[in-house]
Amino acid sequence: MIKNYFKIAFRNLWNNKLFSLIKISSLAIGLSVSFVIGLMVYYDFSFDKFHPDKDHIYRITTEFVTPEGSFYNPGVSYPLGAGLQENATGITAVSSFLTTYPLHIKNTATDKTFKNPDFVIYADKEFFNVFTYKWLAGSKDTALDNPNQLVLSEKRAKKYFPNTAYTDIIGANMVYNDTIPVKISGVVANFTERTDIVFEEFISLRTARQSDMTSVVLSSNWNNTNSASQLFIRTDKNTRAADVRLALHKLADVHKDPNEVEFGNERKFYMQPLQEMHFDANYYTFDFDEETASKSVLISLGCIALFLLLLGSINFINLNTAQATQRAKEIGIRKTLGGSKKQLIYQFLGETFLLTVCAAIVSVALSFWLLKIFEEYIPVGLTSELFAEPIVITSIILLLILVTFLSGFYPALVLSHFKPIAVLKNQIVAANDKTSVRKYLTVFQFVIAQVFIIATLLVGKQISFLLQKDMGFKTEAIASFRAPWYTMTPEKQQRLLAKVEAIPEVSTISLAESPPASFSTSATNVSYFGNDVPVHTELQLLYGDKNYLELYGIELLAGRKQNNDNIKEYVINETYLRLLGFTNPEDAIGKMIKSDGEEHQIVGVIKDFNQRSLKTAIKPLAFMGAGGANRSFKTFHISFANVNGENLPVTTKKLESAWNEVYTDEPFELVFMDSVIKRFYSQERKTAVLLNWATGLAIVISCLGLLGLVVYTTERRTKEIGIRKVLGASLLELNVLLSKEFLSLVAIAFVLAAPIAYFGLDYWLQDFANKTKLSWWVFAISGIAMLLIALLIMGVRTYISSTRNPVKSLRTE
Amino acid sequence: MLLELNNIYKWVQSGGQKIFLLKDINLKVEEGEFISIMGPSGSGKSTLLNIIGMLDVFNEGEYHFLEDSVHSLKEKHRSNLYKQYIGFVFQAYHLLDELTVYENLEMPLLYKKYSSAERKALVADMLDKFNIVGKQKLFPSQLSGGQQQLVGIARALISSPKLILADEPTGNLNSKQGEEIMEIFKELNKDGVTIIQVTHSEKNATYGSRTLNLLDGRKV
Repeated sequence: MIKNYFKIAFRNLWNNKLFSLIKISSLAIGLSVSFVIGLMVYYDFSFDKFHPDKDHIYRITTEFVTPEGSFYNPGVSYPLGAGLQENATGITAVSSFLTTYPLHIKNTATDKTFKNPDFVIYADKEFFNVFTYKWLAGSKDTALDNPNQLVLSEKRAKKYFPNTAYTDIIGANMVYNDTIPVKISGVVANFTERTDIVFEEFISLRTARQSDMTSVVLSSNWNNTNSASQLFIRTDKNTRAADVRLALHKLADVHKDPNEVEFGNERKFYMQPLQEMHFDANYYTFDFDEETASKSVLISLGCIALFLLLLGSINFINLNTAQATQRAKEIGIRKTLGGSKKQLIYQFLGETFLLTVCAAIVSVALSFWLLKIFEEYIPVGLTSELFAEPIVITSIILLLILVTFLSGFYPALVLSHFKPIAVLKNQIVAANDKTSVRKYLTVFQFVIAQVFIIATLLVGKQISFLLQKDMGFKTEAIASFRAPWYTMTPEKQQRLLAKVEAIPEVSTISLAESPPASFSTSATNVSYFGNDVPVHTELQLLYGDKNYLELYGIELLAGRKQNNDNIKEYVINETYLRLLGFTNPEDAIGKMIKSDGEEHQIVGVIKDFNQRSLKTAIKPLAFMGAGGANRSFKTFHISFANVNGENLPVTTKKLESAWNEVYTDEPFELVFMDSVIKRFYSQERKTAVLLNWATGLAIVISCLGLLGLVVYTTERRTKEIGIRKVLGASLLELNVLLSKEFLSLVAIAFVLAAPIAYFGLDYWLQDFANKTKLSWWVFAISGIAMLLIALLIMGVRTYISSTRNPVKSLRTE
Repeated sequence: MLLELNNIYKWVQSGGQKIFLLKDINLKVEEGEFISIMGPSGSGKSTLLNIIGMLDVFNEGEYHFLEDSVHSLKEKHRSNLYKQYIGFVFQAYHLLDELTVYENLEMPLLYKKYSSAERKALVADMLDKFNIVGKQKLFPSQLSGGQQQLVGIARALISSPKLILADEPTGNLNSKQGEEIMEIFKELNKDGVTIIQVTHSEKNATYGSRTLNLLDGRKV
């Protein structure tokens, strides 16, 4: 029986090649996108699911609530660990540890040095009480008790001591940064499942106290929060998280900083469940190469997958019901020969399943390709190997069955309801043609495609608006590079400066810290007491020498540049000027600003510029020199003269050779200002690329569906077209006749899509301080584009069928 | 007795008026009979045949098939009944274009849950009996009209029904092919199969043991 079903299903597919192709390809597009997105969702949701007591492990982090908004720090003040142990009950393990980034580690025995070991922490045995590791050598209880002990992961042990048994490594000596000797006391197995707990080297915590490698422990107090100082806890099974939260709240209250309170700032400790760590964008994870997964991004991706899958299923439903009349005879015969309704439904569902499986095979191949294309959007650990995991395979099968039901059930129901007697008498068409359902579904498809088109255009418009809008300073032909902080000496700085100045293509050079707009900011709390009400505010600080403002073309409105490197002087921007209550820049000159108990003079006012992406508004800022402290600037900012695309590589080479003469070991990295600005919008550009794809695919699927329907309708109306032609209708009139029906569907879809797109994009734009207009012409263009695409498809088909010889089609009827 | 129709009425509503397709039809069919139903177009021949075949329903009257009262049966039981006892032969053959001759013959058996070995044997028997072994791998479109009807009859007979219902079986055939088909019906009847055919042709009607004439839905 089943064999017979498949045989007839296969022959049906074969005989209607065009329709089968449309159905399979539109489903395959939807499925492959769902597979890839499904893998992404599965990947991100399968982190840290394997820990025993995973629901009782928390990371404690810090949130600073200020009048300007909240700031987040993944670390806590170091004494919190001890404080929590004393003041809270029901916590089985409290692990304070410090992340560190050594420059290198040397195996003393072989004298081999390994550069930049990553994922190194100072920890004690509490860490291993929170997280359960398998010990390959050494023991949890003693391995990190004494100073200068080191526990390696299996991977690192293999790297540092190739071909050595783990037990033989115990007692071996290694040295960090040439200054911190450690003795290996244990080896633990790496976690085999996906995890954000990625540490590889564990130095005993007491080493940190004795070495000068980190001052966090010694100089730590309750008011100092360093992101390197991490705190994880594991609560007792019966402990309520709320109780621990209350204890944290009390500790934060007891140890609050009176200075911060004055500025209206408040520190809160946050209990971050381990399960949330992977998704919490406020507090990043430990692997900085990986972007934090975002639930909202995953949800929107999920929606895209769902929509594309729905579009594919709709093609299926539409074409199957449209083809129903062709199948009617078969249904009639099968029923008279004893086939029951149920058997027929199974048969049609089976056919749908066969098609779905075909589509699935195509789409698995397609998803490998998609995974390649979207490499930069996909976490490194996500490879096509995930397809082999049992959960993924099961979900794919379930998805196929679901899609089969979704797209097969309605047509199967329609088809199996045909009355044999009516079919065999050829009375089927008029009564059972479910044109209206097909119309709704087609409109739905075009609404989705239309919304995608509008969204793509507007997101593109917003991005080009952001990239083209004036930042307030020069961004072209400017680059910077940073000398390494650990080998930077004033002597080297001057030598490099002299060499760079000698390059003819360099027009101006400025020694400073960050460029005017960058990802890193430094800020301080300042107060101004010149008015009746003191102005407490956060002030961003920008450091640089005297060439800086000219190099970046930032205009000085009043006063002068800071001129003395030994006294801190502020050159403030207009936003801060307005905040202080001045309208005229001259009025602010000479006023004193208090910061950290010291008073500083305002000596100049500069024009506003954007310190970050245009997504955020301009913040109060002060430009200052080295400011008395023995500060030597490490970043070289240079502007080029007469440099274009052709001689740029040559200039870069010259800079690099100058660098290599001073720094032999360190890599040279030249950063161009305009590329920094582009990087500000990487998220938006990713959105744009994804939208382009979603739009393209949605259009392809919808158009395939439309093509199928047009083919079907014109074929059904061949006789009508023939008669009309015989009676003298022109080609144009026939085209209008045949297209009218579909064009009205496209028009209805536009009317529905426009407001949906409008509100959706309005919501999206709320995140931006500078936003482009939701211009009417964007909507008009996308509507017309959709119309043209639809017309093109219909035109081709109608042209073919209406140029046929009318006599022929009438004769065959 | 194979089947009995008592006072069968069938009508359709059209503009508030009842239009009678069948009026007060009474018919008794014994096993082994060969009945021809005749009458002009629109006299209700096919409707009557479809009612006998349980493909269509009637509005009034009683229908007994063997021991069962068809008028009081549920759809499912009705379909079981005709699946088991009735074979259909159509004017337009109604073979499935996507299936080969062999597969067309096999299909009714699939719906009756025969085992694969039984199916093979039965189909081979039929191919043999109708001399179409050489054509078993061909599709209907590759056969002539007469050959297609032959396959149609073979398919109707394959599950050895008690009753064959034939709706103008020779309507699409030339006279020679038609004659051959009628000869086959005659042979089948001799073997004990009850046959009811609808026909326009006086000549074909003479093959039957009894003729039923209809006019405007009434027996004449």
